[in-house]
Amino acid sequence: MTAATRVPAASRPRLVGRRPGLALLRLLRLELRHNAMPWVLPIAIGLFWLTTYRKGVAMPPLWNLRAAGLQLGAQLDFAVPVTGAAAWMGSREARRRVTDQVTVTVQPRWARLLAPWAATTIWAMLAYLGCTAVLYGVTAHQASWGGPLWWPAAVAAASLPAFSALGFVLGTFLPGRFTAPLAAIAAFFVLTLSTELIHGSQSYWNVSPIVTGPWDLGPQAGVATFYPFLPDLPIAQVMFLVGLTVALLGTLALPAGSGGRALRMVAAGLTGAGLLAAGTAVGLAGTGTMDAHGMIAIPALHDAASDQPLQFTPTCSHTAIPVCLNPAYAGYLSVTATALAPLLSQVAGLPGAPTRIVQDAMIYQQDAGDEVSIRPRSPGDILSSPVSHLVLPDQTQGQTMTAGQLASTVITTYGLQLVARVTGDGPGASQAQHAVAAALLRAAGGDEVIVTQPTSGPCRGPASAPSTRRSGPGRECASQSVGAARGTPAAAAAERFDALSAPVRHAWLVRHLAALRAGLVTLAELP
Amino acid sequence: MNVEITSLTRRFGSVTAVAGVDLLTGPGVFGLLGPNGAGKTSLLRMMATAMPPSSGSLRLLGRDPGSYGARREIRRRLGYLPQNPGYYPGFTVTEYVEYFALLKEVPSARVRAAVATAIDRVELGDRRKSRLRTLSGGMVRRVGIAQAIVNEPELLLLDEPTAGLDPEQRVAFRALLRDLGQRATVVVSTHLVEDVAAACAEVALMDRGRIVFQGTPGALAARSGGQDPGDTPIERGYSAVLAQARS
Repeated sequence: MTAATRVPAASRPRLVGRRPGLALLRLLRLELRHNAMPWVLPIAIGLFWLTTYRKGVAMPPLWNLRAAGLQLGAQLDFAVPVTGAAAWMGSREARRRVTDQVTVTVQPRWARLLAPWAATTIWAMLAYLGCTAVLYGVTAHQASWGGPLWWPAAVAAASLPAFSALGFVLGTFLPGRFTAPLAAIAAFFVLTLSTELIHGSQSYWNVSPIVTGPWDLGPQAGVATFYPFLPDLPIAQVMFLVGLTVALLGTLALPAGSGGRALRMVAAGLTGAGLLAAGTAVGLAGTGTMDAHGMIAIPALHDAASDQPLQFTPTCSHTAIPVCLNPAYAGYLSVTATALAPLLSQVAGLPGAPTRIVQDAMIYQQDAGDEVSIRPRSPGDILSSPVSHLVLPDQTQGQTMTAGQLASTVITTYGLQLVARVTGDGPGASQAQHAVAAALLRAAGGDEVIVTQPTSGPCRGPASAPSTRRSGPGRECASQSVGAARGTPAAAAAERFDALSAPVRHAWLVRHLAALRAGLVTLAELP
Repeated sequence: MNVEITSLTRRFGSVTAVAGVDLLTGPGVFGLLGPNGAGKTSLLRMMATAMPPSSGSLRLLGRDPGSYGARREIRRRLGYLPQNPGYYPGFTVTEYVEYFALLKEVPSARVRAAVATAIDRVELGDRRKSRLRTLSGGMVRRVGIAQAIVNEPELLLLDEPTAGLDPEQRVAFRALLRDLGQRATVVVSTHLVEDVAAACAEVALMDRGRIVFQGTPGALAARSGGQDPGDTPIERGYSAVLAQARS
């Protein structure tokens, strides 16, 4: 052995022309060009159009509904394909048998692996942002009030790097041609099953990124319309997803040979910090409860200012009694006012009739088990109050009605409430009150209105807006009825009273309403 | 000396692939001969820092690859073509070589020129925009050589580089080897002894994990006893040394 060989050869100049940032950008450009994600993007975009966009635009143009639909739908549409694509890219070196060639290069394994992960995530993110822009753009065009809710969109956006990292790590550590499809299937089940263990509004599983609010409540049109959108849960979800992403990416540099001691220590630190952040987010989500406005409030993240009602100028109709809706519901005004106009013209100016009808917010309360009670914010119409409170059916039912269905439901709910308020009809009322109430409802709604005897039961409330009880998304019971049952003397009197012309009916009511409300008018005395 | 190996051993479970190899070599083309399973690939993978030794001493370019910093510096000046090199079929020739240039931290300003030079040296200039999936096996092997030399390595390790090359390409490749050997240490593992005879200044013959001969190709040819199998003197010498080692 030659002694001279013990002197290391001089290192090559390290700084001349060597710009690591530029090199990484060029590496990223190559990875973007040869990434698997663009091949599955048509599937993701197609799924988005089919399952998220079409459903979204079929919903009323309310930002809260569209944003919740985006958060839930876009994640399933994009997270599953990105997991598969990332797993495919993560397993690429092993599948293509280039491990030895790339292992003996200068770039640390971590930097080398982060490039294809970043490229996969960028493609998914670009497509997701494009789809979000389209949905939000259409919503902005259709919505009459409010602005985009960015937190739900941010949760969905944060889920893409997380699921991309999950798939990439699986592909890197378990390389194989079946890893990608299995990872995608696993991601789908992880997402969809993550809500199965949620009971009530307080659950650690609320951290699941597809949870958009109290899971038992389902999508609620009235949420975040009268009160600000609460970002508490989305903040915890984003924190969880970012922590998960960091932890997963950190694990890529943990195996021996991934880099120098310092790099691996940094990776271990990042993995620990990521797990800590994710764990903290889970803990925070577990402390969240449903607030009175139907959103999840997390005490540690809650801003008390969010509990103040939103300020807005209502949109009002020009009916005999103005109907004023939250401007977000301006699209409902025409149908609502048209449906109520005949009734309003009948009762306007009568003693006890309101001078203004204002849309009311709903109050939510978690009951025992999975049940949620929903009631109007205002406890009930007070006879002396000039303002009457109206709750639109879509505020609680979370679904779209046709104009005919909406008109019919407004009459059978609010119309009934208004008639009961004016005539004093309800439990214990006289037969004449039943008859007049039935006649007014018939005159207002025609044959569409079903008039029955007042019912009793757990869902019956005072003569006001309906109260609703939900037990899991979509299930409900609601009832409130006033009037006269068919075939009874009261029904016959109602038909007789209904046959009168509107001015005659109104004139009679002006003269006799006080006596009618006092129960002093008999059926025979009705004209 | 760019390669200093002392008592280098590599075991895979109960199998000893490389058993106490000693080797010294400086600039020039060094041939590593041996039958299948002799341990050539394992020795080359250790020299490429792709695999750590089980025991023994290994110094490359004057550094011990056991530490990460030294290993990075060695890798910066290393080129390696594995026995069965994989590739990314969707990449073009240029992109694939550029990919490795970037991984080898070739200075950004020099990447384009270095890639073009490497591709030209393996005579694939007219196919630089072709995707790798459209190339023949021999062309892909040349792309592998291009990625190995794109950083102008001082230590170039080639495992069966002429497999799949046609005779014309092999002749050209030998010329390239001789050219590279003027500035760098080129270790070529092969079982094609005629390649060694044509291009290498020194050869080692491995069998059962050990080096059983080290010297010039001429010295290897001279070991022939005349009765040994082979068409050329060096092949007969190869057979004679192996027979002697196994006897």
